[in-house]
Amino acid sequence: MLSGDQPVIELRQVKKRYAPDIVALDEVDLAISKGEFVFLTGPSGAGKSTLLRMLYKAEEPTGGSIIIDGVELSSLSKSQIPQLRRKVGVIFQDFKLLFNRTVFENVALSLEVLGLKKDQLAARVRQVVDGVGLSAKLHRKVVQLSGGEQQRVAIARAVVNRPPIILADEPTGNLDRKRTMEVLALMDELNARGASIMIATHDDSLFNNTHRRVLRLKDGKIEEL
Amino acid sequence: MPLGIIFKRALRDMRQNLVTHVMTTIVVALTCLVFIFFSVFSLNLQRIADRFGKELAIVVYLKKDLPQEKIPSLYQKVVAMEGIESVRFVSSEEAFKRLEHYFKNEKEVLEGVDPLFLPPSFEIQIDRAFYNPGRVRSIAERLSKWPEVQKVQYGKEWVDRLESFSKAVQAAVAASAILLLVTAAFVVSNTIKLTVYARQDEIEIMRLVGATNGFIQGPFLLASFLQGVGGSLAAIVTGFFCYEYVVNIITQTELVKSLNLQFLSPAHMLTIVLVSGVFCMAGTAMALRRFLTL
Repeated sequence: MLSGDQPVIELRQVKKRYAPDIVALDEVDLAISKGEFVFLTGPSGAGKSTLLRMLYKAEEPTGGSIIIDGVELSSLSKSQIPQLRRKVGVIFQDFKLLFNRTVFENVALSLEVLGLKKDQLAARVRQVVDGVGLSAKLHRKVVQLSGGEQQRVAIARAVVNRPPIILADEPTGNLDRKRTMEVLALMDELNARGASIMIATHDDSLFNNTHRRVLRLKDGKIEEL
Repeated sequence: MPLGIIFKRALRDMRQNLVTHVMTTIVVALTCLVFIFFSVFSLNLQRIADRFGKELAIVVYLKKDLPQEKIPSLYQKVVAMEGIESVRFVSSEEAFKRLEHYFKNEKEVLEGVDPLFLPPSFEIQIDRAFYNPGRVRSIAERLSKWPEVQKVQYGKEWVDRLESFSKAVQAAVAASAILLLVTAAFVVSNTIKLTVYARQDEIEIMRLVGATNGFIQGPFLLASFLQGVGGSLAAIVTGFFCYEYVVNIITQTELVKSLNLQFLSPAHMLTIVLVSGVFCMAGTAMALRRFLTL
């Protein structure tokens, strides 16, 4: 974390245990400042996805506290959770797309929940879909797209409402080298616009020559590389 | 969330699951039709009861030896009773004249009969606004306890039967109303539950991108309201045509024609539509509450 910066994501002594005796996270402390771009790595099953899920309150920690943008997550009521999730754009490992809907409809979902007007919504969706290089397939059903294209739809949906925090769980897992570089370039661009980004990946090549902070999750503990 | 978006999404959902929604609406319509049948039957039975009941008179036969001078005070006492529209005194002589008129072709039947052998009486008409079978019986019972009274006659059996039948029909209407509400709410909420099951993935995604429960539930609630309203409207239209058909057949006779049968009033129809819609929506809201946890 850059000294003196207010962390946008903060974990204090966070524990996550599953019955009977599986320790996913063991008293993890972590702070990510505003505008930071962080890689979270570790072997499969190390708890990367669990950590991300706790950041958008899809899962609860067993102990400790998580603070997002100054808000302690355990203090949120059920009705406040949607507000948190609007601040955190998530790119899921399994995309979580509606396959029988079009690219436009999938991306628009993040804006529909905000109650945006039709023309405003359409303009924003076109702009973002254009940004991920899918404007020619705007009205194609997602099921008709390749894995890489579906991944880009998932990215477009995560960023279309301009969230200040973007979490990506293996965002390049289904992509070839060229597409992987494109996705990273897109993330760089979003980061340059001010978004704080955390990418969970087990693909070392993504961060081998990076100047970004890289965190490794191993045996429930986080270590900085 | 703006109402326009809820409408748009609800209509899209209904279009995508058209068969399920149409079948549910038909079940709601059939349920409403049962209720409408009992309602129309009860309403017209009540009208018939009112019509005949209002024409019922109570005849109070006085004791033959009652002194003539007591009759005016007794008359005043009857007139002062609650629910009496008019009272007519029929003397023994007038009663005999009526008998003579009845036997005008066989006058010899009454030859040698004492013209005063019939008791004097009061013919009492019940106030139409006050009328109901229970009240007629209550007045008759009170009058029969008076010492000057020999006998009280009114269409007791008829009134009693009408009253018990009317109560049975009203109970059937109430039971069918409960049946309507519970069945419609149950059917609609189960349809919505199936739709929710089928769309678990979509609901999960909506939750993850920050949709509120209102955003997720709104279209489901609106769809169930529309099913309740659509089903009850279909039932009213079907019920009306069935009613017209039956009335056309049975009003061939003058007696039935004079009954002036009626279908449900606009207020009654509006109530059925709204209650059906609201109950279907409430059933769905309860079903969704268990499914849509964040």
